[in-house]
Amino acid sequence: MTVKILAACGAGVNSSHQIKDALESEMKKRGYDVKCDAIMIKDLNEDMMSHYDIYAQIAKTDMSFTPKIPVVDAGAILYRMPAMSKPVFDKVESIIKSEGLS
Amino acid sequence: MQFIIHWSNVIFKPIINLGAAPMMLIVLTLIAWAIGVKFSRALEGGIKLAIALTGISDVINLLTGEYSTALQAFVKSTGINLSITDLGWAPLATITWGSPYTLFFLALLVIVNLIMLALKLTDTLDVDIFDVWHMSFTGLMAIFFGANLLTATLLVIFIGVMKIFNSDLMKPTFNDLLDNWDNPMTTTHLNYMMNPVIMVFNKLFDVLFPWLDKFDFDAAKLNEKIGFWGSRFAIGCYLGVFIGLMSRQSVKEIFTLMFVAGACLELFSIIGSWFIASVEPLSQGVTDLANKRLHGRVLNIGLDWPFIAGRAEVWAAANVLAPIMLLESLVLPGNRILPLGGIIAMGVTPALLVVTRGRLIRMIVIGAIELPIFLWLVPCPRHSLLRWLSRLVPSLRTWVATKKLLNPLRKVLWSNSWATCLVKAKVAI
Repeated sequence: MTVKILAACGAGVNSSHQIKDALESEMKKRGYDVKCDAIMIKDLNEDMMSHYDIYAQIAKTDMSFTPKIPVVDAGAILYRMPAMSKPVFDKVESIIKSEGLS
Repeated sequence: MQFIIHWSNVIFKPIINLGAAPMMLIVLTLIAWAIGVKFSRALEGGIKLAIALTGISDVINLLTGEYSTALQAFVKSTGINLSITDLGWAPLATITWGSPYTLFFLALLVIVNLIMLALKLTDTLDVDIFDVWHMSFTGLMAIFFGANLLTATLLVIFIGVMKIFNSDLMKPTFNDLLDNWDNPMTTTHLNYMMNPVIMVFNKLFDVLFPWLDKFDFDAAKLNEKIGFWGSRFAIGCYLGVFIGLMSRQSVKEIFTLMFVAGACLELFSIIGSWFIASVEPLSQGVTDLANKRLHGRVLNIGLDWPFIAGRAEVWAAANVLAPIMLLESLVLPGNRILPLGGIIAMGVTPALLVVTRGRLIRMIVIGAIELPIFLWLVPCPRHSLLRWLSRLVPSLRTWVATKKLLNPLRKVLWSNSWATCLVKAKVAI
């Protein structure tokens, strides 16, 4: 089953795409089928989030609703240092396992 | 020297003559490969860049082609001359990455950052490789306006050093805004070079209108209410209707203008993401190289600005400033820009957030005061800017004018394609 992840940043172009690429390729290496979408953070709403399994945020996001899906702090992926991004991937993997998403 | 110029021409001229897209495919692939990226990854990046350059050029042609008649009619019927269409940052980034100068400036800025770190002048390692186009654009503009390569390079290095100092200075503020004191995130984005100007206005606000702060409202709720009406394609549609009605087009033509603007704004963003993907291997290669030189020293990491994009005030202020910008463009004397791609002023609101600490009314008022700077700068005639620069730094200009050392390099790097693209796009930032 495909795990759907949502990433968001300012323009939905740079940081969120880096997170998307990193998550998709690392999770593939770990044997999971992950599809991550990158959007502009201002377009984020409750309805959109309901179509995803995990929200990968760069840092704390102000929302007018409480997310019903697990939220992961994925900002460390942007540092481009394997030692710092590994905990993010581990966290995503543990959510996939604990929520039975795969 | 003649020997160097001759051989530079023999080697590089055929590549330059191929045009911007094939030239950058070759240059980006070879440079990424040279710094240790696997050849297939480097080639993938090069091809993506060539595709992005081609795509953005076609979308610009679509937009300008569709709007040229309507804009002429708009001038005729309203007397307001908004003949320069603001395409936002994505086409500008694409065009700037289409110049080999950008790679030259990138190399210099990485070296400058490493020297600053080695001398302990900064704690910030800048990993936002993509946004090096901001400095490159400034350098290219300087060259376009008549500066030689040495002047432009000095300018780029100066701004590069300032933005790194700025990121060090802002670090405690980001920790406070994110309510997280253990993260290494900071940003080297040039947005924040506007902080000093905003700080002056913020102080004035403290003295004159402190009572306005109590009218601040809930930013997240406002954004939720605005919903898709504030999205990119919706804004493109409004502008299409606005231009169509004001230029007295037929209903059919108004619909076409609506959908073309909406489609182009979405496409700019999609093609913008190809770009990020294209420079990704290079970005990772440069960061790996820099990390190797730093032997695991713990540093602040300079990112692109959006790690604070989660703060709702950034978008609430941008949503309110969009119609204000359109209004200002209509009434501002001397303005010729029609705001379109950059009408969601996310180049302005992050710095407003940092300085005002998210006090919304201040962000909106100071933003509205600041926007005319952007509107006025673009139509600034080349000769006026040069005259102004000459007054400002006459001795520097005379000094660099006598230095011919970097001219051979300039001949190799400079390709007319960048300047042609820029003039054609009439882009605004």
